[in-house]
Amino acid sequence: MLHCHYTTMNIPGNTSGTDVSVLERQQARMKWRQQQQQGLSNDDHCFRGLVEIKPDPGLQYGWPDFSDACQDQLIPPLVADHNLKKRKTHEDHKQKAVSKENGVKDKKIKRCSEENSTETSPKEKPKAVETQKQEYIHVRARRGQATDSHSLAERVRREKISERMKYLQDLVPGCNKITGKAGMLDEIINYVQSLQKQVEFLSMKLATLQPRLDFDIDSLIMKEMFEVPAIGYSSEVANSTYFQVNSLLEMGNSPIDTMLRRSIGGPVSIPETFVVSSCFNQMQPGVTWDGDLHNLYRMEIQQESTTIPFQHKFTGSYEGSNLKMEL
Amino acid sequence: MHTSSTLKKEFLKKWIKGLQICCSSNKKMDLMERKKKIKLSADIAMASAKNPATSWSNALISEAKKNKQDTILVNSLLGTESDLKPQKNTDRIISVHKRVQYKKILKRSCNAGKRMNKKKNLVATILAKRLVKKRTKVLKRLVPGGESMNEFSLIKEAMDYMLSLKVQVDVMRSVVTAAEVLSEDKLMKLVE
Repeated sequence: MLHCHYTTMNIPGNTSGTDVSVLERQQARMKWRQQQQQGLSNDDHCFRGLVEIKPDPGLQYGWPDFSDACQDQLIPPLVADHNLKKRKTHEDHKQKAVSKENGVKDKKIKRCSEENSTETSPKEKPKAVETQKQEYIHVRARRGQATDSHSLAERVRREKISERMKYLQDLVPGCNKITGKAGMLDEIINYVQSLQKQVEFLSMKLATLQPRLDFDIDSLIMKEMFEVPAIGYSSEVANSTYFQVNSLLEMGNSPIDTMLRRSIGGPVSIPETFVVSSCFNQMQPGVTWDGDLHNLYRMEIQQESTTIPFQHKFTGSYEGSNLKMEL
Repeated sequence: MHTSSTLKKEFLKKWIKGLQICCSSNKKMDLMERKKKIKLSADIAMASAKNPATSWSNALISEAKKNKQDTILVNSLLGTESDLKPQKNTDRIISVHKRVQYKKILKRSCNAGKRMNKKKNLVATILAKRLVKKRTKVLKRLVPGGESMNEFSLIKEAMDYMLSLKVQVDVMRSVVTAAEVLSEDKLMKLVE
């Protein structure tokens, strides 16, 4: 019985170097195997497993192309009917593929993967939803290259890694010009280290600001901001924010809410949310990590300038917040 | 990206929950302790906010659980859901690690007899390979749970970790600025 070992990663197999014949041989092999085995239930489980693991966390966020490509490849599987005819004619190639596969099998890595060349996907339209239980990575040796199974697997591995490196270039800012693994890795390391240091710095700052780790008012405001992401772009939207903040306050259970509602006049809650949401929204679009710390300081200066005209309006909210903290 | 905003929401909620737990437990904490608590709750909130749990997040959580002081906070924040996950993943991590080791031994034995085709670029390629090896080692140390991963999955985990760190930094920064605004106004009010 053949087993499928699913690792946490999902390999979309978007290698550009594979030929059409790879695909044909895959299906030929599939057919052959299915004829030999009788239990398809195992395959079903594998297939379902493949589909389940598919929504990859990394795919959700920054890689729209990646996930779309995956969608196209995995869900409608790769079976084409004209390959059935070709199967008989390509028996010598099949033998070669078998020998290669045995070589790959000796390698201790067993992955379930699907390969599809970008050229063939628009041409072939799969009909039947057959189970795609593939254990081996099928590769054809290019002209002038070693046909050794080890080197083939190596090449596949390298190609996949380089694919991932390309995506990393988009993620890490300022990596467009750098080619090569070593440089890219260096940039990645620097970026991750800087992010971790930022987290440290921010948590230290928060610790200095908040003597008692009290975050009630902030949390309310922040929650409000998240629920309505459109706030804060201009003061024209201010009225809506006021109403929403009011409704949020009404939702709260504490007795201070009534006080807040009474004391907070029209414009009071708005500047706070505006200020906070403006700083939040400024962070979102295109802030490079090179200038992040500079931005932070700039932000603080901006905050000072904006809060000065609003200071006299904050009285109501602070009475409320003081009361809350005393509780 | 609306998916990242949902992640931000999740993270924020969990983080504030964690902070409130910290706040309720101890009355007096000095600066460094507070900072540690904040950072810890932020990290755990980040790791648990990832709904399809990646290996780095599980590694983070299991590391946090090992530290006996923080287990209360961790457990109360996470609930009983994640008790099963770390064990499974540690087993899997160990088996993956062993597989990687075996693969390396096999590779070394096979490549012992091979010769370099191009002698011109020999030195350059050797240097490049060494650099890459060094840097992958460093990256393995940085990414939580990266020790027992092969290069390919390490890159994927690193990317995921980077994205979530970015989210974490954004949220924390906005909370910090909000807190700053409030405290500044309080001071101004006191001055008046």
